[in-house]
Parts: sequence; structure tokens; C-alpha cells
Amino acid sequence: MKCINILKGLCFTVSLVVIGACHEQPEFANTPKENFEALWRIIDQNYCFFEYKSDIDWVEVGNRYRAKVTNGMTPQELFSLCSEMVNELKDGHVNLASSWDVSYYRFWDQYPQNYNARIIEENYLNFNYKTASGIKYMVLPNNFGYMYYGSFSNTIGEGNLDYVLYEMISTDGLIIDVRNNGGGLLPNVETLVARFLDDEILAGAISHKTGPGHNDFSAPFKYYFKPSANGRIRYKKPVVVLTNRSSFSATNNFVSIMQYLPNVKIVGDVTGGGGGLPFTSELPNGWTIRFSACAIEDAMGNITEFGVAPSPGCKVDMSPEEEAVGKDAIIEKAFEILAEMINMQQ
Amino acid sequence: MIIWMNKYVEIISFRRWAATLIFLVAVLIPDIVYAQSDEAILRPVNSVFSIKAGGASILDTYLTPIRYKGKVLQFEYERYQAMKFCPETWVSQLSAGISYDDVDNYVKSHKMQGAFVNFSWGMMHRWRPVNRLQIYAGASTSFDGGAIYNPLNSNNPVSVKLHWSLNPTAMAVYNMCIGKLPLTFRYQATISAFGLFYAPQYGESYFEMYVGNRSGLVHVGWWGNRFDMQNSLSVDVRIGGTVLRVGYSGLIQTSWINNINTQIYNNMFSIGVGGDWISVSGRSEQNRKAKILSALY
Repeated sequence: MKCINILKGLCFTVSLVVIGACHEQPEFANTPKENFEALWRIIDQNYCFFEYKSDIDWVEVGNRYRAKVTNGMTPQELFSLCSEMVNELKDGHVNLASSWDVSYYRFWDQYPQNYNARIIEENYLNFNYKTASGIKYMVLPNNFGYMYYGSFSNTIGEGNLDYVLYEMISTDGLIIDVRNNGGGLLPNVETLVARFLDDEILAGAISHKTGPGHNDFSAPFKYYFKPSANGRIRYKKPVVVLTNRSSFSATNNFVSIMQYLPNVKIVGDVTGGGGGLPFTSELPNGWTIRFSACAIEDAMGNITEFGVAPSPGCKVDMSPEEEAVGKDAIIEKAFEILAEMINMQQ
Repeated sequence: MIIWMNKYVEIISFRRWAATLIFLVAVLIPDIVYAQSDEAILRPVNSVFSIKAGGASILDTYLTPIRYKGKVLQFEYERYQAMKFCPETWVSQLSAGISYDDVDNYVKSHKMQGAFVNFSWGMMHRWRPVNRLQIYAGASTSFDGGAIYNPLNSNNPVSVKLHWSLNPTAMAVYNMCIGKLPLTFRYQATISAFGLFYAPQYGESYFEMYVGNRSGLVHVGWWGNRFDMQNSLSVDVRIGGTVLRVGYSGLIQTSWINNINTQIYNNMFSIGVGGDWISVSGRSEQNRKAKILSALY
């Protein structure tokens, strides 16, 4: 009997130690109601822009949609309802993905597209451009360089970039077209920006959530970019960056840094935003949910989630009439701005 | 005044260390004297290479709130030897291993992979309370490192695990024979008591670390924020000079830090082969008279 009591005491002590250190994790079952709760909770505890989107009451949003969830719903019905709920965040980085569909908040649908690849390739590049690391480039007849970078997911090789910029050595100015560039990898932003720097610059600041509360954030951490390594080609003449509402995420970050460089102007439309670094999580049924997790500010401390505006006097929209005659009003404006910048330097 | 105080603190600190050292020497002296006054002693190395396989359960809320379950495979080298300074009562244990976890989410739509290395070295005091039974207690220091990879998270697909710890450990060994076949039953439990480990902040991205924010990534581990335990149960079947080891290993690694919950559980069955190795010098006369002190048998 004494031995049994000792054994019981030992087991109790060990269990106390184990229970004390293991934190209980709520686990949701694979039912429509529980999947909904898991989704609502992931956003509630991890989304980083509630502070800046004060018009969104996430508790109220949850209650409103929760009332419509039943365990008899088909997966398609549940997906549609959940997509509608997460689209209330009005964030292109929030995407619910199932095996048959991905939800998007199509933030650009109420604005002109301001980009027509066919017009550029046919009327400005004469289908005679080169391509390296996903960058299409050529020297235009007016001696301005043009490079189109369609996705920051295409990793830019330093050697490739040397070839591109070597081609531009004798140009008077350079156009970097990042319209319709939906983003990609942030390290590619640094690779590209570094070719236009003389000194180290403050690129921006990033903060992260420190807990599940809506206001649990770290202090913004300032980060800096250095010029490219010695021996790499840097471009020091006037530069114009072309943007539209589909310049999103990493592209938005690129524009937010380039806008403060002394020899650079932003021409076109406001960028699409996406100033939050996204994470991806998942629901018990295997659907994935991507969301903005870390807020990124520009060098002046402005949140970039809502886009970066063109430089003063450089906001341009393409009109259907001009498009009909094969004219890209944003490129035309870029020519004008580059000429002004060159004149001001002389 | 402040400088004088600092010096005083240093002297006190030095005295404490010195006192601790003297205490340890005093504790060890009887054993050392005994070992030196005894006849020549050979200390065979009991080393076994094992392969372990079983079930794994991984929850890492930095990557996903969903618990993943699947398989684990581990290769391990384990070595015991009576210690030189007092071989009757102290033994050393060294182990090193690599493991691979392959786990799925509940609906098997996503996979995670984990790869880890571990290294541990410890010393244990040995008692022989009754015939055939040996009880060991001591401490070890260990390092575990690796990563869990979840490809669905495009920006943060990896959860890095680095952990150094000091661990109390206890072991019981019972030797018996079935017929002429010698068997050794062994149970060992090891719990991490104190250490240092790596963990990011709740929502901190690797991009933020990449651009330079590496503060607050190393944490002191204690039972309030992590609990690690390893249980091993094995039977050694000795056939001539060869040891065949079969057994079970249970691993619990849990942490709760920065609102990130990590729970890794492995249940593995193992089979290993090894033997007792003796390094002898050319002085054969001395070796014939030598006393052999095994760490386990």
C-alpha cells in the first residue's frame, strides 16, 4: 500500500511538471463551423493591419458571417462565405485557397489598368528587346533606356543585371516599368535598388506582431540598403519608375524606396499597396489562408499598405483614345519627365 | 566606491567558485584514491549503432496551428564507458544522432519535414543496491538542432530549432541470464532542466532577421517555458562479444515562448548492434591481471 502511494505521488509530480510546461492548443475539428472558427481566429490573432483599418470591426464581421454557417453547408458554399468574410479586409494579400479556387480582393478593378503590353512591345520596342532574369530591356530611339520587370519572383542575377545596365551606359535616362508587377521576393528589391545608390540609405522599417492582440506590435525596425558591390555597374543618370494599381506587394516596396532617391521620379498611377509581408496558415480541412502579417513602412515612416503615390505632377492615366492609336500616355509622360530632369541637371 | 564594490563582488564570486571546486574535489578524493590504489583496470567501451523508427506528432504554431502526424526515422550512436578517475562508481555516456520526420496534416493535403541532429554527453554515478541491479544518476549536456519545413508558407516556410541544455538523468540496469544467454535490461529517463534555445517572436519574419533584427531570438529554457524528456527502454542480448539492442524511445519536446506553441512527440522502436571494445597496450602481463569494469554489465 505504501509503495502504491509512493508511485501515485511520483506520477502526480511528473504529470504536474509535464502539464505545467505543455500549453494547451485549441484544436478545431474538420466541420464547417469549426473551419470557420479556425479561419476567423487565424485572422483575428495574426492580421497586422486592424490598427490602420479602423472601419473594420472584426468581431462584428465574425458574428455576421458566423450566423450564416451551418454544418450542412457544402464545401463550396462554405468557401464562398469565408471568401466573402476575408474580402472585408480589402487586402490583396488575403487569399483563401481551396483545391478548386483562390479568393482575391481585386483592389484594382475600380481603376484604369494603365498598362497594355502589346502597345509597348509593338510601338515602343518593335519586338526587338532582350531579356535577362525576367527583365525585358532595350535602348529606345530617343536614347532613353527601357526595362520592364514583370515579377519580383524572378530572381535577378547580379551578372544579368550588369549586362542590362551595361547596355544602358550611353543612354541619357532610364525607364523602369513595374506596371502589372504583382510582387515576389523582397531580396530582389534590394538587388535592384542597390544599382541606383551611391551611399547606404534608410530603406524603411518593419514591425511584427508580438502576440495575438490586435495592437501587439514590436517597435518598427529600421533597415538599410547598401550600394551594390564594387565592380558592379551602377546607373547614376535620371530614372523614372512607371507604376499602376497592379504594382503590388514587393513592387510596392520597391517603389516606396525608389521614390526617395534624388535622381528618381515615379510616374503613372498610385501603386496597389500590399505593404504587409504575408504569412500563410491553414484550416483543419486543408484550405490555406494567406494574410498580411508584418507591416512595412517607408523611410519616412508612412505605412505602405495603401499604395505609393506618383511624384508630384506625375500622375497619369492612359485614355482609351490614346490606346486606340497605339500610344502609352505613361511612357510618353516618362519621356517628358526625363527630358525635364536632364535639362535641370544641365 | 563603485570600483571597490565591483572588486569585492569579484572576490566573493571567486571565493564561491573556489569553494565549489574544493567541495567537488573533496567528494571525489575517496574514489580517486581507491582507483589509484587498485590493480590495473580495463574500461571497455560499450558502443551501439541503432536505427529507430516510429510515429511522430508535430505542432509548431509558428508554421501552422494544425498538428501534423506521421513517421520518424533516427540513426543513433550511443557509447558508455566507466570513467578513468573512478571507474567503479562513475560512467560516461555519449550519444549522437540524426533524425528525419515526415508528417501530414489531418486531411493529408500538406506535408512537413523535419531534420534534426542531436549530441549529448553526460556523467552518472553508479550504485549497486542489490545483486544484478545498478542504479545511475547524473547529468548531461546536450545540443539539439534542426528545422521543420512547411512549404505552404511561402515567406516563412521554416521553423529553426536550436537548443542547448543541462539535463538531470537517471538510469536503472538489470543484468540476468536466460539459460546461458546474458541479458541486460535498461531504462533511462532524461529531463532538460536548464538551457538556451532559439525562438523567433510571435509573428517575426525571417526577412526582418535578414535585414538585421536579431535581438530577442535566444531564450533561457526552464520548466516554465519548455519541457523536454527522453525515455529509453532497451534490452541488450549479448552473443559473444556482440551486443544486439532492441528497445523503445520516447521523446517529448515542448516549448511555449512568445505565444508560440511547439510540441514534438516521437515514439520509436529501435534495433541496434554493437559491442564492448577494449583498447589494450602491449604490456600483456599487466592486461591479464587487469580488472575489467564495464559501464553497464
